[in-house]
This record gives sequence, structure tokens and C-alpha cells, in this order.
Amino acid sequence: MLRPALSEILFGIQRTIIETLAPELSSPYAQSQAGSVAMMVGFVAASMASEPALAAAEVKGLASTIRAIHKLRDPALLADPQLKAALRAARRAATSRPPDRRAMEAAIAELAKALVLGRLSDPVAKEVRGYLRANLERIRSFVAPGLFPR
Amino acid sequence: MSALADKLAGYLNGKMPDAAGLRVAGFKRIAGGSSRETYAFDLEWSEAGAHRARPLIMRRDPTGGLLVSSREREFKVLEAMNRAGLKVPPPLFLELDPAILERPFFIMERAPGRTSAGAFPATEPVSLRDRIAHDFIVGLARLQALDHRALGLGWLGEPAGLDGPARLQPAHWRDVYERDRMNERHPILEAAFAWLDANPVAADRIVIVHGDYRSGNYLYDDDHGIIAMLDWEMCHLGDPMEDLGWATMMFWGREELAGGLMEREAFYRLYERMCGCTIDRRRLFFYQVLGNAKMAVICLTGIRDYVEGRTSDAVMPLLEILLSPLLDDLANQLKLI
Repeated sequence: MLRPALSEILFGIQRTIIETLAPELSSPYAQSQAGSVAMMVGFVAASMASEPALAAAEVKGLASTIRAIHKLRDPALLADPQLKAALRAARRAATSRPPDRRAMEAAIAELAKALVLGRLSDPVAKEVRGYLRANLERIRSFVAPGLFPR
Repeated sequence: MSALADKLAGYLNGKMPDAAGLRVAGFKRIAGGSSRETYAFDLEWSEAGAHRARPLIMRRDPTGGLLVSSREREFKVLEAMNRAGLKVPPPLFLELDPAILERPFFIMERAPGRTSAGAFPATEPVSLRDRIAHDFIVGLARLQALDHRALGLGWLGEPAGLDGPARLQPAHWRDVYERDRMNERHPILEAAFAWLDANPVAADRIVIVHGDYRSGNYLYDDDHGIIAMLDWEMCHLGDPMEDLGWATMMFWGREELAGGLMEREAFYRLYERMCGCTIDRRRLFFYQVLGNAKMAVICLTGIRDYVEGRTSDAVMPLLEILLSPLLDDLANQLKLI
């Protein structure tokens, strides 16, 4: 395997910025910018390996939520023309190859709006809440290296 | 940098005909004011045989940034707040002609003191924290007691009716979201706007709203407490609960301390005492939800400007990281999870 690996290069660039470049900067603004750049480079280094897996988990989570809601054949949802159309579009998006992430997110956005307005039955609400919880957890784990930089 | 300083000196020479030997010294860009380029300098000159010096700040429109807002608006608000005796840096010159320094700018006095990045720092002494908390709430009460018409601020746009603010503000930020989301959908954020639309509140009066009244937007020191309130570019007329809601968002706080200053209920009690009012908790909650949604949209605006190359400010990609706690707060506030 070739070394340094990409993440090792980025961590090295972070060290170069902190240890070599920043001390040479006389401008406080430039020093502040260098600090921000160093932090972001570290974030990218720590997160880049996990990004594809998180993106795949997100698509999987969206598709399984949409499938589960579809299976419920919820009468209240099907009686709402807007939600019915959103769910139909989401089913197409979930079953296309590859799945259409943006279209699935659009459907979940409509369902989240319905959730906050109390328009969803309990079983459907449970599925939407489950997706939102998992989505927030995925976001939290992705940005954690930025919130707690090394 | 020296070319910019030279042009600035030339401009100020024209503005101060009685000044001789005018010099811009120590001109440097400083961090903060992230929606503007901010420069600090000392202006030195002779007048009537006496040497004069004044510490100043120049704020200039960026090429791209967090918000599109008017220098003229911000300058005129600062002038009004200065006239009203509020703790703000005195504004001096406003220049809208882009031929001078490429983009509109204004100059104000440079107030002393330090600021925080967000919540009041945990490293500061508790005695200072208590004093700042008091100054912060008193400052808000004084702002909300001002008569905007008497100050000539009617041009900020009076909402139609007491239910106007709760319609106008969410609508504005939803429009910004639609413009800046770059084709992405954010379900929790959209649910928040749906909730705000479905749960409007009516103000009890219309007041001047700072729009970004929070820890991180004031200068303070050990001897004077809060010296100056900064960043008036989002100032508008609206519900007094809007600034209180923004200031007490979890995002600007630390643990249970609103703004990193004071335990939340104590903060509310002090505000009520200073204002002589009782907080309408339903309205406050509405504006805390709006605050989270607004800050999330501000992050998206900055991200879009960064992705599309209108800014190279290294702070902008950090906004992606800040979205996580905002979305968490919204999801909890609205019981979405």
C-alpha cells in the first residue's frame, strides 16, 4: 500500500499549517483563517473514510422507511392527495437503480411536515420518527470530528 | 492591504478638510463580523495645531457571505441607537459609491474590549459573568423601550398588525431557505417552517428588534461590563420575544446557561423585572423555534456562497458542522424524534 495514505497527507498538511505556516503570519486575521483551515483539513481527514458508508446508510434508511410506510397502506395517508403523491414518488425513487436519494428526501420532507402538524397516524409517525432519529445520529457521527477536533 | 489603506486615507482626507497630515496607521483585517470584511486602524492627523488620533473600524461589503444586507440600513440604525444613548460604536462615515473602495463601506469608532465566539466563556470569572448578564438584559430592555417612530426608524417597515411579525419573519427565512438550499431538502427544517406557519403568535407590541442579540455580539471588559452591542445588520421591527428567543437559544448557550451567562429561568425572571412585563412562554417558544430555523438557514446561505465560490472565508465550511446541533434542537423542540 502506498504511504502516506490520503488521510495521513491531510493530517500532515494540518500540522504544516499549525506548526510552520501560522507562526510566520503576522496578521491576526490570517492566523485566524489558518486556524480555521487547519480545523477543516483535520475534519476532512477524519471524516473522509466514513463519508461513503454514511451516505449509503442514509440511502438505505430512506428506502427502508419508505418501504415500511408503503406496506402499512395507511388509510389516512392514502386519503391525503399530497401525501399519497409524495409516497408514490418516493416508492419509485426507492426502487429505481440506483435509488434516487433526492426524491426520497423530498418525500420524507413532506412526511416530516405532516408529522409536526399531527396529520400522520401513529404507525406512520413511528416510521418517520425512526428515520429522523437515525438521520440525526448519522449527521452527528459525521460531524463529530469537527465538533471535537484532534 | 497597503493599497486599500492608501485609498481609505485619500477618502478620509476628502471627508475631513480641516485635518492636516492625515494618516491611516496599523491598518489590518480582523476576524469576526463574519458577514462583513472588518478592518481596524488608527486615524492620526493634526488640527488647529494639535495632534489627534482616533481608533476606528471600517466595515465593507464582502464579495459573498452570509447575508445580503444594506450598509446604509446598518449605518442608519447605528446612528439612531447612538442618538438614543444605547451602547453602540458611534458611526462616522457611510460610503455607498463602489468607485471608492470597490464595495460599499462605513466607518465607526473602534470600541475597546473583547468578545466571545459564541457563549460567554466558561473561563471568565463568575462575578464578571453575572455583571455581563445584567448588562445584557438591561440593554435588551432599553432597546425594547425605545420609540422607533420618535427615532425616525419607521423606514425599517412596520409589520401590519400585531400578528405581522410571526408571519413575516418565518416567511422571509423560508424564502432564503428555498433560495439557498442548493436543491437539497432538509426535512426537520421544513417541518419547523410548517409548524411556525401553523402556530402563529401575536405580539403585545411592536419594538425595535436587533435580530442578532446574543453572546458573541458585544464587546466587554472587566471594568465596564458590556461596552458596545455590535452587528445591527439584521435590525427590524417586530415582537420583543424575537430577540429574547434568539438570545436564549441552546445554540448560543452553554449547558443550562442562556448565552453562557445565566441559568435560563433566572434570565427570564431578570428580564421580566427589567421590562416590567411577564414573558408569554408560548410566544417565547415560537421565537426560539424560529431562531433555530433562522440560524440553520443562515448556515445554508454561507455554505452556498462557499460552494459556489463567492467567498473563500475559511469559516464558511465550518457551518456544515454547526447544522447538527441546530437540527437536534429543532427535532427536540418539535418532538419529531
